[in-house]
Amino acid sequence: MPNLNNAGLPPDESPARHIARSLIDRERSGRSGGDSAARSAATACDLLYRGLSRWLGADGCHALFVRARAQARPDFPALEEIQLRRGSTPYIYGVQEAILAHGDAATAEALEWILVHLIELLGRLIGKDMAATLIQRGFVASVRRDTTSDSGREEP
Amino acid sequence: MTQEERSEMRALLSGVPGLDNVLGGGLPEYSFNLIAGGPGSGKTTLAHQIAFANATVERPALYFTVLGEPTLKMLRYQRQFRFFDPDLAGSAIQFINLSAEVLEQDLGDVLQRIVGEVESAKPGLVIVDSFRTIAGQRGSADRGTGLELDQFVQRLALHLTSWEVTSFLLGEYAEADQRNPVFTVADGIIWLSQATDRNSVVRKLQVVKARGCAPMPGLHTFRITDAGLQVFPRIPEQTRKRAPQKRERLSTGVSGLDEMMGGGVIAGDAVMLTGPAGSGKSTVATQFMVAGLANGETGVIAVFEEYPEEYLARAETRDHDVGKAIRDGKLELIYLRPLDLSVDEALAAILEAVERLRARRVVIDSLSGFEVALAPTFREDFRESLYRLVGTLTATGVTVFMTAEVSEGFPDARFTSEKVSFITDEIIVQRYIEIEGELRRVIAVIKMRGSDHSHEFRAYEVTPKGVVIGSPLAEYDGIITGVPTLRARPVRARRRK
Repeated sequence: MPNLNNAGLPPDESPARHIARSLIDRERSGRSGGDSAARSAATACDLLYRGLSRWLGADGCHALFVRARAQARPDFPALEEIQLRRGSTPYIYGVQEAILAHGDAATAEALEWILVHLIELLGRLIGKDMAATLIQRGFVASVRRDTTSDSGREEP
Repeated sequence: MTQEERSEMRALLSGVPGLDNVLGGGLPEYSFNLIAGGPGSGKTTLAHQIAFANATVERPALYFTVLGEPTLKMLRYQRQFRFFDPDLAGSAIQFINLSAEVLEQDLGDVLQRIVGEVESAKPGLVIVDSFRTIAGQRGSADRGTGLELDQFVQRLALHLTSWEVTSFLLGEYAEADQRNPVFTVADGIIWLSQATDRNSVVRKLQVVKARGCAPMPGLHTFRITDAGLQVFPRIPEQTRKRAPQKRERLSTGVSGLDEMMGGGVIAGDAVMLTGPAGSGKSTVATQFMVAGLANGETGVIAVFEEYPEEYLARAETRDHDVGKAIRDGKLELIYLRPLDLSVDEALAAILEAVERLRARRVVIDSLSGFEVALAPTFREDFRESLYRLVGTLTATGVTVFMTAEVSEGFPDARFTSEKVSFITDEIIVQRYIEIEGELRRVIAVIKMRGSDHSHEFRAYEVTPKGVVIGSPLAEYDGIITGVPTLRARPVRARRRK
């Protein structure tokens, strides 16, 4: 299980980024369809939001995502189109608009960096070890629930 | 019911030092408990400590958080405690937030969510923090629904017990809230409180109710440190007889004093040495301990007036190799000077060290410093508490050597501290006297239960090697006044040649 310490990681990859990528990869590998990279990243955010909400509460988790997006926003213009909707499914809105305006790869990277900032933030708040554990356990539990409901991303 | 049938109710160990003693053996399994107390009284920490001590991946703890302290902050603070194992978070201990259900103000939804999670995870423990918030939200939204709250509590308790769960509801309750249905349904109620008395804060725990076990009555002090809660059970009345002793004599390490005491201190006794400031009480106490160490015994010194480093440095200047004995694990120096101490806490620390080292000698230096270190509220019943403390210690077989400072005033000099002399078997007094314009020190043994002893006043010196007893002051009268007079020698009649 990846952790938030640097051991064994490529020098250009932070532990938080490693975890974020592993969450997105995991989401992507679980899908039989051919979702775009941005949609996979958005679904990973949805799943993590749902997983973390279980123990942090919808408000607590939303507050973390809002802060993470604010941190990523200056570097990723695609996030201008992205909206976070507290307590809704899906949680991430505006993915299609972001893809149209900035392209799939840029949107995917922007969403990945929301996850990176969120993981780092949580690590600072409750400790890296516990943050990594709770993120991954919360995500896995969320994926399990998701596979039974097959909730593809449907933005109204 | 046979003993075997009675013993089928298992008790969970709380993981909180001292609490299981207070509870009468632990928390009854599958019980439905309330942990109540004001803000900052330690409810959440106590619940976490119990959870971390008992939860396993197979039988996890479900920690339901409601409104109030956000989960994130709760985890941030709780993980500062040494009992908090981050590896267990999310697996053996699962945190679940109920704020959405509670904000909907529907107790049915809350119950359904808790029951659903319990059925899914099959936990051994369930904690709801804070239950008061659940009840409060409902109450504020729809007054007059007391029946619904009754039903909610009743159903929750039934469900949790049916799923073989030991549960804890946490809440900020006051004495006046005891008509709340949760108080009736709960099998156990642990009440935490903290009171400010002048500049001291004293935390107390009371087991108000404990179905299925026999808790220790009364208020028990507790402390919260980085290890979590530690409860100091109120010292019970000493019903146990003292461990049988051979009436063997233990050397005080002061040769002349041993002689005055008929061979030394009687093993297992409580000895008090009183004297004014600077009379060498601590020196004699250290000599007493060093004599035991030299004899291959182990010991514990509880210091209240000095920092341990100072105490050690002073002891070592007299060739007392106290530092080496500490390093070798033969002696423990306990430093207790927090100014919000309870006698029970002091006893717990001393007893723990006595049992660990299998100590034969205990020095308490001094009772005067001990009294000052206590929170003001405990000073009021110092005598009674000390009586129980000394009784508990001597019941283990250790010999307790205490020092106490008494004020010196002429002509109204006191021999002993009037507050505590009754608790001792042996009393030695030191005092200053004036002879020919010079301040001298004298020592006397004034009480030894069941043993003869010297009734002399003897001069002594405090030397770099310790206290050295001199000769009796047989030629003086009025030593007790502090200003003795040389007894007139009988004049021999001159023989006339």
